[in-house]
Amino acid sequence: MRLTDEEKKILQGGQGEPRRIAMKILTHLGEAFGAERMIPVASAHLVACSYQIAGEAGIEIYTRLVEQGARVSVPTTLDPGSIDFERWNEFKTPKEYVKRQIVISELLQKMGVIPTWSCTPYYFLNIPLFGQDLAWSESSAVIFANSVIGARTNRMSAYLDICAAIVGRVPYFGLHIPENRKGEILIELTSELSDHFSDVYFPVLGYLIGQVSEDKIPVINGVPSASFDQLKAFGASAAATGSIALYHMVGVTPEARNLNEAFQGAKPLKKIQIGIGDIQETMENMRTYTSGKIDIVAVGCPHASIEQMRRYAKLLKGKHVHKEIELWICTNEVVEFMAKKMGYIKTIEKAGGRIMVGTCLNDCPLSKWNFCCLVTDSGKFTYYTPTTIGTKCYYTGTEECIRIAIEGRIGEKQ
Amino acid sequence: MKSNLILNGKGHTTGIVKAQAVVSRNPFGFWQGIDPKSGKVIDKRHDLVGQSLKGKIFVFPYGRGSTGTPGIFLEAVRNHAAPAAIINLNSEPMIIVCSLLAEEFYNVSIPIIDNLDKNPFEVIHTGDWLIVNGESGTIEIIAEK
Repeated sequence: MRLTDEEKKILQGGQGEPRRIAMKILTHLGEAFGAERMIPVASAHLVACSYQIAGEAGIEIYTRLVEQGARVSVPTTLDPGSIDFERWNEFKTPKEYVKRQIVISELLQKMGVIPTWSCTPYYFLNIPLFGQDLAWSESSAVIFANSVIGARTNRMSAYLDICAAIVGRVPYFGLHIPENRKGEILIELTSELSDHFSDVYFPVLGYLIGQVSEDKIPVINGVPSASFDQLKAFGASAAATGSIALYHMVGVTPEARNLNEAFQGAKPLKKIQIGIGDIQETMENMRTYTSGKIDIVAVGCPHASIEQMRRYAKLLKGKHVHKEIELWICTNEVVEFMAKKMGYIKTIEKAGGRIMVGTCLNDCPLSKWNFCCLVTDSGKFTYYTPTTIGTKCYYTGTEECIRIAIEGRIGEKQ
Repeated sequence: MKSNLILNGKGHTTGIVKAQAVVSRNPFGFWQGIDPKSGKVIDKRHDLVGQSLKGKIFVFPYGRGSTGTPGIFLEAVRNHAAPAAIINLNSEPMIIVCSLLAEEFYNVSIPIIDNLDKNPFEVIHTGDWLIVNGESGTIEIIAEK
């Protein structure tokens, strides 16, 4: 790689040990991927901030970096942690787990990070611009930043993200290079699906596209329109079942105003047609049970926005969650603060729902709850909770999730 | 005597390892993929569920899923439960980072090789003994199962 004089100085240890280690790892990675140079990044988003991901190794690594004086040099936000810092007792989190998460929190804050504890930094406090280069982890945030905003980041990962945050640079390869962002495979929705596309299909379509795209960039044609929240749900699902870091949605996302632009004038390597039957089949695969006992309904993956909080509050107003069911809504402190001001939290809690802040079902240890049967409107929860909390899973739309939480059963009232 | 089959690829990190292969044609993510204490695969959707990767040469096409991979991987390295080497069709940056970090923070060399001149899934099988050289990017099959 061709490094600048300053970068060479960093690599030789002239700006301290943390910057030397960070530059060494980034340079090595750049060389592995044929990068010619480093580029500056506008921000970073870290994923190894939860004790569940970082573990004792994370504490050792961060301790070493902090003792050597590490500081982030660009705005750097944090993914969810493994605890709700206020309500961990309510969520039955083991005390030892809480202590270790607090150690990680303190170490990271000594390096100057912004403690957002959220997988949706792009809603607040870390909002990228179109074309900006970033160093982000969190598969659902990476896919959102690249696809919906048109910012440019490779899938960074645990610790690589802090290296980039410390030196404020990444090697120039992969999705930072405009030509590498062209669509590779075409996903064409049938006109029947396109005409009847609804809110509940976004996570399902994402789930399916994650599975069929392999490591290629998909271009989706036929989604009539989409909101921020719908694209968030779609991308999180696709990034969970696959390794997609970027998709284009024709007429919806900024690098795909038309098919030609999405493929940068090239031809698709492959065309896949998706119809209502495929969506229904995928939805069936997203349900490992379809009747019987339910013990938890969980929404807010990725973290709920203020608009989603409004939606939940509206559905729950004057109702009560079934006495044998837990309803959990995952979000972050910023949305919680605003939702409190707007009265949504009061409505949700009065109806018996719980707000889980700064963490989620995938990061927080929940073995003490012995959950067996989950209902969710999230493709990402659907994919991971059978492993993270060992539950069976039933995917359905947001309205239906809340209805099930109230009535206590899947399917129509007898 | 039949000579051992050799595959040539791109070695990303240094180290020479002799161990048995564990092979899967399915992409793999380490977060919620392995238990970092035992090195066992815990992803119920994966064909290797229940098998241990500890000390093995792990052959899979490419990484998938969560960017938490190096977090779990380093915890496994710390617990001496990580794979000894990795062979991919194409290694994702986060897979290579696992090895770079293991070397930097735990002085453990975990060679990673990809872009091989032969399809590894056709010639390497679970249980085969291999010598993996991260420096030269070569894999030698020394004993088939």
